[in-house]
Amino acid sequence: MTIPTKRPRLPPAALHRSDRPAVRRLPIAVMLAPAVIALVLLFGGGLAGAVRQSLHPTIDGAGPLDLSAWTAVLGDPTFADALWFSLRTALAATGLSAAAAVAIAVALRRQAALPRFLVALPVPVPHLLVATVAVAWLGPGGLAERALGALPIQLVRDRAGLGIVLVYLYKETPFLVLLLLASMGAELTRREEAAAVLGATGWQRLRWVVWPTIRAPLATGSLIVAAFVLGAFEVPMAVGPSYPPTLATYAAEQPQLDLVAGQAKAAAALLVAAAASIALAAAAVRLSRDRAPCLSVAGLALCLRPVGLSTVGAGA
Amino acid sequence: MTATALAALFAAPLAVLPVQAVADAWRAPALLPQRLGARGLHAAITGQAGSALGNSLAVAAATTALALLLGWPAARALGGRRLRCLTPVLVLLAMPLLVPAYATGTGLAEWFVRLGLSGGRLGLVLAHLTVVLPYVVLILATGFGERLQELEEMARTVGLGTPRRLALVTLPTVRPTLAAAGLLGFLVSWSQYGLSLAVGSGLPMLPLVLLPFIRSDPQIAAALALLFLAPALATLAIAARASRHQR
Repeated sequence: MTIPTKRPRLPPAALHRSDRPAVRRLPIAVMLAPAVIALVLLFGGGLAGAVRQSLHPTIDGAGPLDLSAWTAVLGDPTFADALWFSLRTALAATGLSAAAAVAIAVALRRQAALPRFLVALPVPVPHLLVATVAVAWLGPGGLAERALGALPIQLVRDRAGLGIVLVYLYKETPFLVLLLLASMGAELTRREEAAAVLGATGWQRLRWVVWPTIRAPLATGSLIVAAFVLGAFEVPMAVGPSYPPTLATYAAEQPQLDLVAGQAKAAAALLVAAAASIALAAAAVRLSRDRAPCLSVAGLALCLRPVGLSTVGAGA
Repeated sequence: MTATALAALFAAPLAVLPVQAVADAWRAPALLPQRLGARGLHAAITGQAGSALGNSLAVAAATTALALLLGWPAARALGGRRLRCLTPVLVLLAMPLLVPAYATGTGLAEWFVRLGLSGGRLGLVLAHLTVVLPYVVLILATGFGERLQELEEMARTVGLGTPRRLALVTLPTVRPTLAAAGLLGFLVSWSQYGLSLAVGSGLPMLPLVLLPFIRSDPQIAAALALLFLAPALATLAIAARASRHQR
């Protein structure tokens, strides 16, 4: 009897999934455990710590539960101004960036690599650096004022927050453009050509072919932008007005204004910002007409792929 | 042509930084500096700014490494599966990106003070991990699809053991994704302001040191901003090379 040196060749039908030589894997729960435990401890712990802090308005954070920090913050007219100012800035910055991004993406989609690379340049640049550049160009005595004599309106540290919106517009438009360009692949071009063959006009193609394709990535990207603008405070600190503050700068001021309950008030204000971000996220999920929120979160995951890879591939 | 002009509009404003960084005197209304010098660059790499540079580099590198280590198995579990089944995990990953970092940081600072982690690099690494880990997992997961599983199964069929499979099949296949995840993770930590302010209790970090100079001394601010920009430029350069290499 001869020993076969080769495995017997099986007919294709016999190669069921279970018969394949599967690479041994750990159970999914074990694989997820390190990241999930780290996030639950750090993020969950952080939120729990903020809630705890907001309920103990004392110097050492001890003592009985006390809602006075919450009532003080919610009844503070400065806080109301800060909330309104933050929401307004976030919505203006996000709306303008999204509109500009759609226009630029449509203009750039058939362009060569160089314009795409130039547009992508601000994406990896830190926000604070964009604020530095904005002050150098648009601030009092800045380059724009020197070149033009005088600016028609004050842009940096103005009460309306135009400087903040401009910085975010410059920083976030390219981010959204990258997301949109990544979703405008060859497949979209083919569908547009098909629509053109069927007699669709340019506007009809944009409305019925391009827009449905880019709507989901645009919504997810805008959500990331809005949430960031709502909670970040390096940009308002650098180019924003001294009044009104944003939610984050309001929170940062509290410990200096009130040595005893300041930390608790800061935590309460920040939790309102967190709640506003989550509410915006829920609204965006609704607006993008995804029934299940998980689809949108999955969309976030897919959107991040182009961010990573096309930031990276932008130089090609 | 219009497109290039449009694109230049985004790239051009950054050009002011290298000029301002070496402008020892640049008074209005002059459009060019009156005197050039290295005062800003010197201030940016010595004293508090110098230690901030070291801290920021160390924290960003350690956070990224830790996030890749913890995120790799989770990304393997998420990649190539129907994402819908794992909604709670995805929500957990998305939440730290939506909630303001300063809010999480304020709460973390509360615990870190008790644990003795406040004001140290370890505390900052753990705090930054809250935002870096979700990015790293979500990006890595896009690289672990069915194609990789098929390649690994082929490698196993021809008799490669686990270490060689990892070295010869898995790592080369996911290298672009791994690089993207690592670079983005590094940048997220590098430019993080809110968490560093909340948890660092005064430990100098580059963004924290840069902010006051924007109002007080634009030259030092510009020099620090150039240092701050370096990893972003390196990212673009590496990216450009990697994508050429791939073709």
